[in-house]
Amino acid sequence: MRVSEIMTKDLTAVEKDIPVRELIFILNSAEMPDMPVVDDNGVLIGVISEKDLIKAALPGYFEMLHSTSFIPDLNQLSKKLAKIANDPIEKYMKRDVISISLDDDDLQAADLLIRKNLKSLPVVDKDGRLAGVVRRIDLLRNLL
Amino acid sequence: MIITVTLNPAIDKIYWVDRLRIGQEAQEEFLTRAVRSQTSAGGKGVNISIFLARLGVENVAMGFVGGHTGHVVVRDLRDEGVTTNFVWVEGETRTNVTILERGREFIPIMVDEEGQAVSQIELERFLRRYKRMLPRASWVVLAGSLPPGVDPDIYRVLAAQAKEAGVKVAVMAGGHPLTRVLSAAPDLVKPDTREHLAMERAPLTTRDKIIAAGRKVVAQGVGMVIISHEVIGDLVIIKDSIWDIESRVPATQFKNLVGADDALVGGILYKLYTGAPIEEALRFGMAAGIASAESEEKLCKDVQEIMREMEHIALMPIGGDDAGE
Repeated sequence: MRVSEIMTKDLTAVEKDIPVRELIFILNSAEMPDMPVVDDNGVLIGVISEKDLIKAALPGYFEMLHSTSFIPDLNQLSKKLAKIANDPIEKYMKRDVISISLDDDDLQAADLLIRKNLKSLPVVDKDGRLAGVVRRIDLLRNLL
Repeated sequence: MIITVTLNPAIDKIYWVDRLRIGQEAQEEFLTRAVRSQTSAGGKGVNISIFLARLGVENVAMGFVGGHTGHVVVRDLRDEGVTTNFVWVEGETRTNVTILERGREFIPIMVDEEGQAVSQIELERFLRRYKRMLPRASWVVLAGSLPPGVDPDIYRVLAAQAKEAGVKVAVMAGGHPLTRVLSAAPDLVKPDTREHLAMERAPLTTRDKIIAAGRKVVAQGVGMVIISHEVIGDLVIIKDSIWDIESRVPATQFKNLVGADDALVGGILYKLYTGAPIEEALRFGMAAGIASAESEEKLCKDVQEIMREMEHIALMPIGGDDAGE
């Protein structure tokens, strides 16, 4: 099957200049673990996740974070988050985005999701514009 | 591709009851049991999106959603094959309740919530998204009421941006949002059936008055005006022609009027989008509206049923003295 047939047809995305505070609200409201970042033409230019925000707030500790027991003090995370809350998200987004095209097949999507350990994969059209997203659950739903 | 904008979407909750006692009739506590209920994503633009998706038309639904009910709206749309692009806002997407009493389904009892307020930042977030979606679209549908906090000028702004981008515009609205959008010269206007009488600030009680009001709107540059004058009849006014379009189905056969107007506009858009002549678009649209009203479901899913319904639709050109001049 083609990616266009299995993907979630959702174009929820953010612009690179929105503040971290706003992104957290959108991630929470939309219940998305990561968010595509697009330019004024809708072209995919990055991705930012909850993980990127935690990393931005606690860069020194992040590599050791296998569980929350490694966080010395949640207040510390809270204070650091408050400090970056008004920063534009472009400071913390990933620019080397892994994406897939509408016409690619579901096997390629599965390969990328598993091999790169991704929760979701942005789908782009021939002009590089965001066209949807493939989540692990989209694959499972279509395989059953 | 078609964009539908529903700034104030809803969950449509429909209850079917055998007998409803309200007002004077209900002198003491009285439990009304629903024999059936249905919950689905709603709002005029949302309904049009679902209708178009069922006919295989690629479309994107935009607007504001919030909270648990916002997720229901988005989920329903995606399940129907509609692409979603909503701005998430604080608060909860509204719920609209309709009660249909057996034998009186053609007179639904409706309770609509006002909707969640939208802040200036949220509105700006929407405007950026809308602007970047326009180059992908050939039609934009601006439909329904506005949430609290949104300027009634918003449809005019959105329509003007679309026209500037070379995108055609259809509007289903009432009150100030409707009167203000007219200056942007949309291609199709369907005044809200419940509010269109406000267009002239005086009751449009006769067919001639409706035609005269429609002519004034077309003179402002609007491509087509569709005004309901009976449950089963609409008047259509364009620059050079006027039609009376009527179904020969009695209103008492209707089982659910929720969404029927949206199916009508969705049907017309579907045909215009696919290059059909205007007369065919109008007959198909009316057939879609009637088929939806005759179905217990909010929107008729069956294209064959709509085609069958077209046999009962009469499209009559109006000219000379009948044209209300």
